[in-house]
Amino acid sequence: MAFNILLVDDSATVRAVIKKALTLANVDINELYQAGNGQEALAVLEQEWVDLVFCDISMPVMDGEEFVAEMKATGMIETIPVVIVSSAGSEPRVARLKASGVRDYIQKPFTPERIREVVDSVMGVANDA
Amino acid sequence: MLEYSQETVTATFLGVVEQLTFMFGEPVDKDDLDTEQVDFTLARMSFLGDIAGSLAVAVPTAITGEIAANILGLEPEDLTDQVMLDDALGEMLNVVCGHVIMAVAGNDANFKLHSPEVVKVDETMLVEMLASADYFGYELDDSPVLLGLTVED
Repeated sequence: MAFNILLVDDSATVRAVIKKALTLANVDINELYQAGNGQEALAVLEQEWVDLVFCDISMPVMDGEEFVAEMKATGMIETIPVVIVSSAGSEPRVARLKASGVRDYIQKPFTPERIREVVDSVMGVANDA
Repeated sequence: MLEYSQETVTATFLGVVEQLTFMFGEPVDKDDLDTEQVDFTLARMSFLGDIAGSLAVAVPTAITGEIAANILGLEPEDLTDQVMLDDALGEMLNVVCGHVIMAVAGNDANFKLHSPEVVKVDETMLVEMLASADYFGYELDDSPVLLGLTVED
């Protein structure tokens, strides 16, 4: 199964690293969308079908927590899984985000194996490696 | 005021940098760092919350390409865009910062990271960093590196 994936991070480096990790993890990608902050991500979600979102916490304009809150308010978080990828995930913040509907948390730095594990878990599928 | 040890900061910094860039480092007394004729690039960022302050890392500009290439899994010669080199250095600091904060303030600390900024280091800035007690010295793959942590009262 090929996924439409949205990467949300203000760092082009991080978006490139996640993209590479997804490829190395043999995650089947149909379309890969990118956004530099939560506001841009919401605009993508209004226009495109997205199966899975990887999102940073600390971003300008609209940060990850605000983005998740907006997805929760509109009900999108029920149908579009969000995974947080960050180095700023203290225990209370991760618990707060999961209570808001975030499916999982990946701490930077991460491995392709960790990305694969989360995709399999969140999407409920076993991609062939 | 929050108390933390240099050993904790050092272990966290070197561990994260090794995982992220595959570059190995060790602490070095700043007086023993060879900074003559070295152009440095500095990434710095601030944080707020249960713990507030700033973190900065200064690396030789000559190794910013290697850092970016290692993070991205590319060859240094494939990276000629200065914006990308600066972004990668900022991201390295961003990851280090999250880990350092949790190492010194605990995993339950609430904090917010601001975006890193990257600047060239002039002679005055270098002298101030070398003289400041907030800055620690390292050699990263034999290159001189300075890491500065400031925690507000």
